[in-house]
Amino acid sequence: MKRLANFYTEREPSILGGGFILLLILLWELMPRLLALPQGFSLFFTTPWQVIEACYQLFVENKIQEHFYVSSIEFLAGLGLAIVVGLPAGLITGRSRNIDAMVDPFVTIFNATPRLIFLPLFILWFGIGIWSKIVIVFIGAVFPLLINTYEGVKNVDRVLVNVVRSFGANEWQVMKIVVLPYSVPYIIVGLRLAIGRAILGVVVGEFFGASKGLGFMIATAATNYKVDVVFVGVAIFMGLSLVLTMAVKKFESKLSRWRPEEAKTF
Amino acid sequence: MAPFISAHDVSLVFKSKDRDPVTALNRLNLEITKGEFVSIVGPSGCGKSTFLNMLLGLLRPDSGQMQMNGTAITGPGQERAMVFQEFGLLPWRTVTANVELGLELKGIAAGKRTERAMELIKLVGLQGFERHYPHELSGGMKQRVGLARALATEPEILLMDEPFAALDAQTRDLMQSELLQIWERTRKTVLFVTHSIEEAAYLSDRVIVMTARPGRAKETLKIQLPRPRDYEMRLTPEFNEIKSQIWEVLKEELISRV
Amino acid sequence: MKPKEYFAEHRRLWLGLGSVLFVIAAWEALLTYVIPLNPFFFTKPSLIAVAFKEQVIYGALWNDLAVSSKAFLWGFSLAILFGIPVGALMGWRRKAGYTLDPFFTALYASPLVALAPLIIVVFGVGLFAKSVLVFALSVFPFIFNTFAGVRSTDRLLINVVRSFGGGEKDLYLKVIFPSTLPYIVAGARIALGRGLVGIIVGEFYAASEGIGYAISRFGDTYRLPEMFAAIFLLMIAAVALTEGMRKLESVLAPWKTTQETR
Repeated sequence: MKRLANFYTEREPSILGGGFILLLILLWELMPRLLALPQGFSLFFTTPWQVIEACYQLFVENKIQEHFYVSSIEFLAGLGLAIVVGLPAGLITGRSRNIDAMVDPFVTIFNATPRLIFLPLFILWFGIGIWSKIVIVFIGAVFPLLINTYEGVKNVDRVLVNVVRSFGANEWQVMKIVVLPYSVPYIIVGLRLAIGRAILGVVVGEFFGASKGLGFMIATAATNYKVDVVFVGVAIFMGLSLVLTMAVKKFESKLSRWRPEEAKTF
Repeated sequence: MAPFISAHDVSLVFKSKDRDPVTALNRLNLEITKGEFVSIVGPSGCGKSTFLNMLLGLLRPDSGQMQMNGTAITGPGQERAMVFQEFGLLPWRTVTANVELGLELKGIAAGKRTERAMELIKLVGLQGFERHYPHELSGGMKQRVGLARALATEPEILLMDEPFAALDAQTRDLMQSELLQIWERTRKTVLFVTHSIEEAAYLSDRVIVMTARPGRAKETLKIQLPRPRDYEMRLTPEFNEIKSQIWEVLKEELISRV
Repeated sequence: MKPKEYFAEHRRLWLGLGSVLFVIAAWEALLTYVIPLNPFFFTKPSLIAVAFKEQVIYGALWNDLAVSSKAFLWGFSLAILFGIPVGALMGWRRKAGYTLDPFFTALYASPLVALAPLIIVVFGVGLFAKSVLVFALSVFPFIFNTFAGVRSTDRLLINVVRSFGGGEKDLYLKVIFPSTLPYIVAGARIALGRGLVGIIVGEFYAASEGIGYAISRFGDTYRLPEMFAAIFLLMIAAVALTEGMRKLESVLAPWKTTQETR
């Protein structure tokens, strides 16, 4: 009996947390059997098992693969562009006071507004093909990357910069040897945020101006009252989000071997 | 004999946005001959670290000239290397990679770099710690890495900016003795900035006392102790006499500030 | 010499202002002299300014903004009323924290906007659906920030108040609330951004009023100057709110939140 008690206390957080989630899923599954649902409501209702079945169906009938493929391309292309533009931009604005002053009002304004308001404009310009989505993903993800890289660069230890300069390093070498490695933790935080915004961009972009993609699948399923398909889409996005966040965390701990444990605050 | 390093009428004013401009150095004159171990002591804020940074090439004087080997100093160069008070080690690099920094920037090939780094790591007594990261080292050990790094590029002068100020008293004494041993073997020219009269007297051939801000070289005292020096010398009456002399000169500057 | 000194001191301000003015001027010039103005694709600042005056001052855009604000405030207030107590509970009682944390974290990390079509289909178009969406998106920063704030309360201070005979009420008022406040305000700023996304998405999707609706309606009818006017109106509101939050944070928060942490 004591061993069971010990087992519980050691793992209490996961048992309570995991148990709660399982309980909710179970209740959800059993709800139509336990309660008598009003007639109209059952139209909008689905259960976890139905969602799993729907997912299997879609997979087998080869309906979901193309949507998944399109959404992935939009996500990766937009995020990739955001990294390629945001990181160097963050480095440069961090190092140059003048450029920072000139760029700052734009960054503040665009960061405060929900970038999705540009979606109608992008659909107007780029149509409902993948490009409008790539652009909306890009402008959603680029700002966290730029801002966080900027913060990392601004916070670099002056002593280290002086040390490297005293050995005759030029600006480019200073960036490469000190500024960039120092900013890595900040960039990682930016990357996590950027991934969240990127997924958001894909989802919303595909709701409003698309003919393919998981978001499109969700939107059409909703209007056709195929609630189970809706949840298939939602679950896929949820899963992707979780997987990517964990991947970034793993990546971060690999790069942080040199940091003393207390300093890992992110 | 032409001096190895010279500073002539060097002045520097710090301008700031909210406050009045501050004159850090006002017509400082200084000469150092090759192979000398020279210390600078002075009250806080007298500009000694500022001067060191100017010799290093990170700051430019507003007026006056600084020369090394007859050529003017206009920026950083590999003939001058600094050991920093806050160590300044790149935390994401191992001890070896840190020591190699200067060689890397000089463009030396990887194999040769590591070879040289290993020699120096041995010289400062850190064998076995080559693959450690800075956060795993004590203060004294970090400063040894700093010293190894500075010596790696074979500079002609070693600039040391209160290198032992961040260490505890016992480690500090230890490091002073070790520094002298290493110096005896390499006989570099050293310019050493410190607050501690005892440290300056123990280590140097000459001690320069600076005035309070704006800084100038007030007086130079020759240290007539034989070399090689050992710890027991610090306990002799001659040493105390030397310390008093330095203190007499320095005292005026401290009082005038208060 | 006076203007030169003044310029040097406030350099940051001048450079910023200058670059914004430059961009606007360049935009205007580009579309007046260089690129032919195809009204279906492009527009320029002078036209936008005219549209802005028309729509905002004489037109319906103010009304749209008011409609959007109403829905936003409903959802946001509910998020505060629900999120802060739940977060406080999680922070104060360890077991509650263990139980709820993974569940809320999973929800927070998922793009809940994906449920927007479903919400609209179930609740229809209108104030209620929009508020639900805003609530769903903005509640989590409040939960998690309050959670973190309560958990970070200095135990020492609690013991101090207890040792002077303070009861639960005193603890909450004198120690926990003041020390959690900065966290809550930071959470409010983040929740603001997410709530704005909610209102926009809700209005794009199926609405008949509101600023998001206005933007997409202007887009559908190719009325670009009006569309940009609506976008700018929203931008002004968003920047004003966000900067206002930041000011509030710097007044109330002892630590810097320069990083976007969520």
